[in-house]
Order: sequence, then structure tokens, then C-alpha cells
Amino acid sequence: MNRFMEILENVLLPVADKLNNNRYLTALRNGFMVALPLIIFGSIFVVIANLPFLDKAISEDAYAAYQAALGPASAATLSIMGLFVIIGIGYKLVEHYKGEAIYGGVVAVASFLILTPQTIDFVTSEGATEAVGGVIPTSVLGAQGMFLGIFTAFIAAELYRFFTQKNLTIKMPAGVPDAVARSFSALIPIALTLTVFLVVRILFSFTKYDTVQNFIYTLIQAPLTELGSGLPATIIAVLLIQLFWFFGLHGQIIINSVFDPIWYALNDENLAAFQAGTDLPNVVTKQFIDTFIVGIGGSGMTLAVIIGIFLIGRSRQLKELGKLGAPAGIFNVNEPIIFGLPIIMNPLVLIPWLLAPVVVAIVTYIAMSTGMVPRPAGIIVPWTTPALLSGFLATGNNIMGAVMQAINIVIVFVIWWPFLKIMDKQYYENENKGSETKAS
Amino acid sequence: MKRILLACSAGMSTSLLVSKMKEAAEAKGIEAEIWAVAQDKAPSEMERADVLLIGPQMRFMKKKFAVTAEEVGIPLDIIDPMSYGRVDGEAVLNKALELIGE
Repeated sequence: MNRFMEILENVLLPVADKLNNNRYLTALRNGFMVALPLIIFGSIFVVIANLPFLDKAISEDAYAAYQAALGPASAATLSIMGLFVIIGIGYKLVEHYKGEAIYGGVVAVASFLILTPQTIDFVTSEGATEAVGGVIPTSVLGAQGMFLGIFTAFIAAELYRFFTQKNLTIKMPAGVPDAVARSFSALIPIALTLTVFLVVRILFSFTKYDTVQNFIYTLIQAPLTELGSGLPATIIAVLLIQLFWFFGLHGQIIINSVFDPIWYALNDENLAAFQAGTDLPNVVTKQFIDTFIVGIGGSGMTLAVIIGIFLIGRSRQLKELGKLGAPAGIFNVNEPIIFGLPIIMNPLVLIPWLLAPVVVAIVTYIAMSTGMVPRPAGIIVPWTTPALLSGFLATGNNIMGAVMQAINIVIVFVIWWPFLKIMDKQYYENENKGSETKAS
Repeated sequence: MKRILLACSAGMSTSLLVSKMKEAAEAKGIEAEIWAVAQDKAPSEMERADVLLIGPQMRFMKKKFAVTAEEVGIPLDIIDPMSYGRVDGEAVLNKALELIGE
């Protein structure tokens, strides 16, 4: 067993190192970080705009006016989150190369917009379709544009760096203020980068896809999100998160950097449907993972473990750990439990550690697909939000979201119960043996 | 004045440790500035630190941090998982002081 664990750790550590330190995945993760405060702001207003029972308490017109008044808050943030992610990626990638980061951000946005359709089809009252120019459909700045945005930001930042490093810049004579010189030095690299994207756009206009946006969406994003929204891919992701953590490596940071674009895109599709009042298309979304799998005490849903410790813990070690881990655990910070129980490298807890989240994922998936529990509404709840409250908020203020989380806690608790009992007994006997030898 | 920097994923669990380390430092009468940051902030924060301690769950970042640590000229290490789990502020503080070399 030890030999096997050694081999696994030797495999996982470099994988974690590669995934976490890959400059593109790092820029992607940080790009999402840039967007996060805005996304959370928008989410809060979706929650407020959809307060439970309010639609029954006030008149239909007043309710509609209320929702319309709050609508721009989420429309300007949550619904166009792709835009912020693009700025973030462009910025962070150029920053990584120690370039003028803000230009990385703006060149990424401009490149993306060049590739984006700039007309919408407007259906007139007579039923004719008219192309209206001078607009950017917000849908492409949200879920639909996510993948193209990510690729574009990578490529734009790389091109910008390439042209900058080729020294294709205008040199200002000495004495010109630094800020002026800098804006000129960015001019040629930006112009060249955007020209490349313009050429790409023109080339694509001759294909049947018309825009790059359509091309990426049809060929890459749609199939990938389809795959990512399925149960098998979700189980694999959850298992990998748990496996990394078992070796004491931050599983979410590592796995999210690969899955986040898919989960966020699925999330955004649900949000659009939620706001339009239509059926939510996806079960698996960012919130499915964050709120219903991870957000119950942290990775591995250790809130149930803490409850178990309080209920059955006789050993001093477990009791102490429960006291130490509970306050942080309520806010889904569970490193004390993971390293203190310990869960890492502990063969005794490997089974519940891997099994519980998978079972919960399956049960939650079934409950949501069959409509017993509402699907996540696309509202991003901060991951430190305590369980029950987070489930309520994530499902668009639905009590069944909290009920689902409560059921999940019970499931995890039942799976852990026998293992926790064995562990407690071992600790208890060791502690007593220790005091006996001291006494004698 | 000792300046001890801790880094983990979001700076959450390490900040738990920070408060315990501050208590331990106070008890020992050591003047210390102790703070925790998310992993991506660590390289820029290293400049004003005397030592960097990394949360064990982020130990795959050590190689990357080591490059900056060398530039700035400060020691770094991974926090012992057991001390981390027990939020043992005193043990981690001792480790930090030992690394600073005093």
C-alpha cells in the first residue's frame, strides 16, 4: 500500500505542478478571478430580484417594474462575464511576460470583438428579418463567447508579446515623457495583432460559418459543454479533485483550471433561462459542483465528518479536531480536517473520501434531472457561503436547494460513519494506552 | 521585526494559522508581522517578507516560488502538514524563526 501511494504521489505531484504552473491555465484561472467580484455582484442582484413570495405580495406590474429596475445590475456583470474573463486573461498573460499588462487586456478584448458578429437579426412587426448594425449582441459576451474569448485572449496576448519582443515599436527620443513613450511603444504591436484578427475574420466570412464565433461554438464549445454537462465527466472531475486532495494537493485549484470554462458556460446558459423564465437547460454547472458537491464543508463535504466527530468522537484527538475544524468548516474551509484527521495519505478514509462525493453527485444529478429539486439557476454564490444557505441561493431562492444539501450531508455522514467509528476507536485506545503506561 | 509571509490557495486556511501564530509570537514577546496571501500574490509580496511558508496543499508551487525567493534572497519552506492541520501556530512560528536563522 505504501509503495503504491508513493508511486501515485510521484505521478500526481508533477501533474499538479504542470497544471497549476502552466502559464495559460494560470492566466485562465486569474482571468476568472478578475471576473469573480463582478459575477458575485450580479448574482446578488439576481437573488434580490427574485425574492421568494414577493411576486405574490405585490401586483404583477409592480413586480415587473421591480425586476426591470434591478435587471441592469446582472446584465452588466453576470451576463457578460466572458468579457471580463477575456480582459483578465489578456492582462495576466502579458503581465506574466512582464509586458505592459493593461494593453494585454485591451488588445484581447478588441481582438475578440473583431471576431464577433456585429449585427443582430431584428424581426419587424411585419415578420420580415432585418439585420441591424452597430451592435454587439450581449449573448456572445457571456456563455456563448466564453471559449472563443479564452482562445482569443491567449493568442492576442501571445501576438502582442511577439510583436513587442521583435522590437516593432516606435522609439521616442529622450525627453519624451514616459507615459507618452509607452503609449506609442504599444501602438505597432497592437495594430499588428488586431490586423491578424481582422484578416482571420475576413477569411471566415467566406466560409459557411460566417464568423469565427459560430465556428468555435459549433465545432468546439457545443460538443465540449455537452460532454462536460454529462454525469460521467462530472464524476471523473469529482474523483480527480478528491484524489489530488488525498495526497494533500489542492484538488480544486488543479481541476477547476481545466473545467471552469465549461462549468461557467453551462452556468450562464442556466442564468439566461432563469431570467427569461424558461426551463433551465443544465444540471451540471459551476454551482452544481461548488454548492452541492464541494460547498458542504469544503472538498469531500467534510461538514458531515465534523458532525460525525461531535456525535461519535470519544478520543481526545477527534474532539479537539472537531472544535478546531468546525468554525472554519461552516464556511467551507476544511484544511484543518484534511490535514488534521488526517485525510491525506490515510488509507482508512480513502473509501469514504472518494465514494461520498461521487454518490452525492449521482443522487443530486438524478434529483435535479427528474425535477424533484430545482436546477442551479446560474447564480454564483461565493464558495465561503455556509451550506443550506448556499443551496437556497444557488437554486434561485428555492428551499429545495437547501433540502438537497441537507440530504447530501446525511448521505456523506452515513458513508463516513463506520470509518469514523473505527478511527475514533483506534485513537481512543492509543490515548488510553498512553495514559496507562504513564500511570504505571 | 520579523516579517513572515504565508501562502495558500486563497489565503483562507493560512489566515487561520496567521492568527494563531500572532498569538504565539505575542506570548513569546516576539515582534512579528505575519500575513497570508493567495498563491498568485505571493511573488510580489515576497519582497517585503523575511521568510515564505507555503501551505502543504500548495506544495507544487514551491519550485515556482523558489525562483522569486532566490531573487529576493529569502528562505522558504512547506508547512508541516500535521502542524497545519492542528493549526499549531507556535510550531509554525518556530519553524519560520528557524528559517530566518535566529
